[in-house]
Amino acid sequence: METGLYHYLFIALILFIIGLIGSIMCKNIIKVLICIEFILTGVNINFAVFAKYCGGVMSEGFVMILFYTAIGAVELAVALYIFYFMFAKKDSDNICKYGDL
Amino acid sequence: MYNNIIFYSASFLIVLFGFLTIFFKNIFYSLLSVICVFFLTAVLFLLLGSEYNAVIQLAIYGFAIPIILGLGIMFTGKSGHETASSGSKLKDLLFFFGGLFILAVIYLVLISNTVIPNGFNTNFNYEGINSYDNFRIFTQGIFVKYIYAFEIISVILTITAVGLTMIKKRGEGLK
Amino acid sequence: MGELISNNIYLILLLPLWIFLIIMLGRFVSVYVNKSVIWGLSLFSAMLGCIASLGLYKIFTPDMVFENTIPFIKINDFIINFGIHIDRLSLIFTSVLFIISFFVLLFSTTYMKNEKKQYRFYALINLFNFVTATFFFSPNLFQAYVCWELVGLVSYLLIGFEYSKSEKSLASKKVFIINRIGDTAFLAGIIMCSYLMYEYAPSKSLAGLELFDINTISTLVSVYSPHTLYLIICGLFIVAAMVKSAQFPFYSWLQDAMEAKLPVSALLHSSTLVALGVYLVIRIMPFLTLTPSILKFIAIIGVLTAFVCSLSASVQNHPKKALAYSTSAQFGLIFFALGILNIKVALILFVTHALIKSMLFLTLPDEKEKWNILKFILFAIGALSLAGLLFSGLCAKEILAFSLSLKGIFVLSALSFITSFYILRILIVIMKTNGIEKINSKKIETFSAFSLLFINILLYIYLRKTNSYHISIPYFSAILGMLFVLILNIRNWILKISCPLFYNGFYIDKFYMTIILWLYNKFAESLAKFDTKILGNYKPIIYVSKIGVNLIDFVETKIMNGVVSEITKSIKKLSEIDLKAQNGNIQRYNLYAFLIITIIITILSIAYLTIIINIKGVG
Repeated sequence: METGLYHYLFIALILFIIGLIGSIMCKNIIKVLICIEFILTGVNINFAVFAKYCGGVMSEGFVMILFYTAIGAVELAVALYIFYFMFAKKDSDNICKYGDL
Repeated sequence: MYNNIIFYSASFLIVLFGFLTIFFKNIFYSLLSVICVFFLTAVLFLLLGSEYNAVIQLAIYGFAIPIILGLGIMFTGKSGHETASSGSKLKDLLFFFGGLFILAVIYLVLISNTVIPNGFNTNFNYEGINSYDNFRIFTQGIFVKYIYAFEIISVILTITAVGLTMIKKRGEGLK
Repeated sequence: MGELISNNIYLILLLPLWIFLIIMLGRFVSVYVNKSVIWGLSLFSAMLGCIASLGLYKIFTPDMVFENTIPFIKINDFIINFGIHIDRLSLIFTSVLFIISFFVLLFSTTYMKNEKKQYRFYALINLFNFVTATFFFSPNLFQAYVCWELVGLVSYLLIGFEYSKSEKSLASKKVFIINRIGDTAFLAGIIMCSYLMYEYAPSKSLAGLELFDINTISTLVSVYSPHTLYLIICGLFIVAAMVKSAQFPFYSWLQDAMEAKLPVSALLHSSTLVALGVYLVIRIMPFLTLTPSILKFIAIIGVLTAFVCSLSASVQNHPKKALAYSTSAQFGLIFFALGILNIKVALILFVTHALIKSMLFLTLPDEKEKWNILKFILFAIGALSLAGLLFSGLCAKEILAFSLSLKGIFVLSALSFITSFYILRILIVIMKTNGIEKINSKKIETFSAFSLLFINILLYIYLRKTNSYHISIPYFSAILGMLFVLILNIRNWILKISCPLFYNGFYIDKFYMTIILWLYNKFAESLAKFDTKILGNYKPIIYVSKIGVNLIDFVETKIMNGVVSEITKSIKKLSEIDLKAQNGNIQRYNLYAFLIITIIITILSIAYLTIIINIKGVG
């Protein structure tokens, strides 16, 4: 079967869902941040798929991926920065203890 | 045909490693599987015809972010083992399957031709995008068409970096 | 201008109803309306009704009718409307109602100062205004029946206003029960007419008994029913009118209605409530003119009542009872005028009597109170007017005499003699029992009575200008009556006149209380014996009733209480679940946010897409 639009979309969806479930279920903060990156990756794949398959209309989807990647990386850095300061007080990496953020 | 093989294997491995990141209790193991996932999405980008994106993905997601995460883990983790978790397993499982079901329903509804009148305007013949066109998309996109977005994002990133260092400096100054 | 007012007349009619609802229902939500606000609103509504009816009376020509109805009950093709039907006749009655209501309200602001729960009084007076005005403006007999019953109810509430005193509550109950006889007769008449119309008439819309079609209805009923049935139908309507207006066999309820307070007697039982019968007879005239014997019957009843009640009034010692008999007597005269088909005279008699009688009631003193001299003077002038010697009473009696033959004038003069006799006798009786004093004048009370007298004088001038009459025999017989009273007074025989027959109202009241109640008690006792001795020992009935009781018990405890307790339990569980969702878990919040946003966006996109499909078409 030829791989078409919908197959790539499905992969992106699965990656999105894995990231979503992981961000809800995991108790470790680092894991939660990793799963957020999964979400962003799924969205990136979505953009690329539409850029290829509706080409002529939307071939600048690839540029969007660049911007998202940059933003995602910076967001991760900021999150870790805050986490580092909170860790000095809480001394635990379990997200349940960080309820008063 | 080669496209199919590469696509199916890559997608299968993405799903597998993605599941494994959540499954592992040791953070380092999940970090490793995250690296695998990001490498494989770069392969996926390659299949979709944009090598530039694949390289960016490799560079940032594949190298830089694992370094940052690794630094974070090393600074804070206590030998990487997971702490005791509170909360009920059954409810989380329920949420998991419920979410999966909802999203599958939405997906199936959206791809059926009753909702979208014309289908997406797709051309399924793969001329592909050659490297010159791909590169051209980027130059046109960043420097000609979307230059405002580019400049604003770069300003935002600069402010973030400066701001973070200033917070650190002020925190140290108070101490 | 007339159209504007007529279209919005229902707003003026609804204002008293709103006041009633605000006062009574506001108590449930702790909204206690200030007394001055209640007074102001009630007076304003009465004034508004007065101005509206008088204004419309000027604008309407005698054959102009304004009607506005909406269908109220609709069963296939049987439609009952309700709405407003404005006519010059109804405007006369409502203007009388609102004028007297205004002055009675003004009077009662100071008279009822020491009552507890005054708000109930004003609320009920407002309700009475609304119901009576709706009765006068009703477009068909069904709405008239509804308002008829409601008026009886309001009268019950007002007579038993101080319900803690047992004799007053018993009296109000008796009044209401006797009024029910009239209600039943009215309803029977309506049902028969409506049935005949529905079955046999060419158009089913006649079954709604509209006042527009009253001519066709009367002719059709007389055609479709045998003669005796037609007489019975007319008789039922007349019995209803007789009960409400306290005519011959049914005048005893007015005595018990005098247990009420003074403003209630002035408003209800002298001028407006007893006028409902007259209005009904005038509206039913097309029925009654088809058989002249009925008209003779009405006239005979009227004269009979007038004589009986005047004779009874002439030996009473309590002023309110005498005035109650006097009301019945004067209304007997009005029915006599209706019986000889002189409706104009009947209306003139009614309006003058209403104004005079309410003024007489308002100037009465209390039980052991000395009579104020201003009130004494006003009562004296009103008494002379009632006797037919002064102002509008004179006009009314003379206009009536103008249209009678010699026999009629003889009857009328006999009546005038007795009338002036009893009213002046009562004046002297009150003078002797209460005594007169000069000081302690209550300004508002005398002002309201005086303004009624003023309106009386205005009416007299108007009648003088528009009618021609000459003074004849009844005037002189009234003067004879007055002289007779003065002679008796000089000899001090006034208080010694007594005659048991007259004093007890020809024993009508006792007849009801003893014989009919005895019959009813016997009937109830026999039924009770049957129930306990025969049915009580019959085994299957006991068995079935036991099953019934158990079934009802089961339904009530398990099902009804169970449903309610299940609802409360489920609500408690819902609140517990909701409490758990707020436990501060960030991840949980994330999940909820994601789910809800997904659902919203899905719904929006599906809606958008379906709209696009429907507008542009598929393809």
